[in-house]
Amino acid sequence: MPRGRFDKGAQMQIYLPIAEMSVNILTLIGMGGLVGFMSGMFGVGGGFLMTPLLIFVGIPPAVAVATEANQIVASSVSGGLAYWQRRAVDVRMGVILMTGGIAGSYAGVQLFKLLRELGQVDLLISLSYVLFLSVIGGLMLRESLNAIAATRRGQPLRARRPGTHSWILRLPLRMRFRQSKLYISVIPPLLIGFFVGTMSAIMGVGGGFIMVPAMIYLLRMPTNVVIGTSLFQIIFVTASVTILHSVENQTVDILLAFLLMVGGVIGAQFGAIVGQRLRGEQLRALLALIVLSVGLKLFLDLISRPDELFSVTRMGFGG
Amino acid sequence: MRYGRKILLVVMLTSFALAPMAARANTIIADLSKDHISIKSNFAGEKLLLFGAVEATVDGPISDIIVILRGPGENFTLRKKEKKLGVWVNNAAYDIGPLPGFYAVASTRKLSQMAPANVLREHSIGANAMSINFLSSNIEPSEQAEAIAGFIRLKQARALYAEAENGVQIIGGRLFRAEINLPSGMPVGTYVTEFFAFQNGRLVGYQTGELPVDIVGAGHILHQAAYEMPLVYGIGGVVMACFMGWGVATLFRRR
Repeated sequence: MPRGRFDKGAQMQIYLPIAEMSVNILTLIGMGGLVGFMSGMFGVGGGFLMTPLLIFVGIPPAVAVATEANQIVASSVSGGLAYWQRRAVDVRMGVILMTGGIAGSYAGVQLFKLLRELGQVDLLISLSYVLFLSVIGGLMLRESLNAIAATRRGQPLRARRPGTHSWILRLPLRMRFRQSKLYISVIPPLLIGFFVGTMSAIMGVGGGFIMVPAMIYLLRMPTNVVIGTSLFQIIFVTASVTILHSVENQTVDILLAFLLMVGGVIGAQFGAIVGQRLRGEQLRALLALIVLSVGLKLFLDLISRPDELFSVTRMGFGG
Repeated sequence: MRYGRKILLVVMLTSFALAPMAARANTIIADLSKDHISIKSNFAGEKLLLFGAVEATVDGPISDIIVILRGPGENFTLRKKEKKLGVWVNNAAYDIGPLPGFYAVASTRKLSQMAPANVLREHSIGANAMSINFLSSNIEPSEQAEAIAGFIRLKQARALYAEAENGVQIIGGRLFRAEINLPSGMPVGTYVTEFFAFQNGRLVGYQTGELPVDIVGAGHILHQAAYEMPLVYGIGGVVMACFMGWGVATLFRRR
């Protein structure tokens, strides 16, 4: 029988060629929009919210991670361009971070592939998320609650002053970073880049939420170049993650990434407008609560008995 | 149903009527509402109609008909979760196969009422009659049974395995029709259709055919590229993302 002309529900379904499932197209654009809205509002990348959301709607975790890396390439290009035009990018530092990052992404994808063959990649993704979301969410919540309390008492919190160079920055292989007004060893940025690149490959995130604090507190970079430089290197690291996952795991769904981008860019524009009207510390407290609840949901999924203990994959297509 | 198919059905019926007692190899003749399934980008699953006619034998009219649609065989890895250190993790893994990625059987009544179990098993009729080979050895029979039940449950949950014991309707004693649901997650490849006519527990008619299932259009190109030219595919994804990002930044630039 031909399908009814008015059967709109079925027509809104889109078949994702790599995830090999069909999903409602409005759900995907809506999710992209929601996360885009939040990232515009809070000024964060949003990968750490989108990947769990994709997993919650049934996209295989391995596909969610790799596809989200592809989406972040787009959002960091669009965000990074403005900083580039304002010359708020320390290119030399970006290249050093990205060198570590690309190496880290290679290591992360290899680990991902190995655990996928062992059927443990979903566990790796969930555990990484539970760990990072609870730590980051907890720290953010504490910091923003302190800030709110301080404002109530009428004494603004003193900004922490960058101290003297710690011993890590005085390691060998020192290099001058003129834009950041630094003369430091390249070892710490290489290691930070490597760590964030590994995370990017395993979790499908840009890693700005680790990179930015690390640049400020560990590398002592001036705040005006931090976000631009972070976005600059994220473009290349997530591009590397996308290509490596495509080659090693065949888990990047370009169609899914495209739909998320469409929703994401629209949402980010509205989010930025709303974000400007809200107070910074309240906004951070709200984001912290969202981050913590996503982490809690993933944690509960790990510890509660699943309805079905078995899972099946085509042989050789782990996870 | 399309007109062409209706005409075919009429021709089939007429041929039965015109050659009443001629010696024929088969008492069942059947066809499908489609000769191939194309998974387009808006594919959300569909219904396949399988229909045909049966001819009465000397023992009387045939009322036991079984229709099977079987997807291409594959090997699967089945994993079982166990609680370790407070967390549910995949523990035991079983490699099984080859088994069809899709398997639907429709019949006029309960399979067990139509033919003895050994006959059903001989023709692999019904998910329970499929012989499931464990590629890894030394697995206890009870563990095997649990794994098999789990496998069938998982496939049923995704509508990839289905059994409908009243799924075949007989019309006017001769015509029959069955509808099989094809879910959106159906694997691609060449499917096999099988039509069985049983009488008093004996197989009296059989026909088989093929049904190709392919991803077509843009989805097909992406799927092919992802598996056959993964490097080009990955770079393509990055280039697309860069253009999207650049386009958005240009479009929404605020001064």
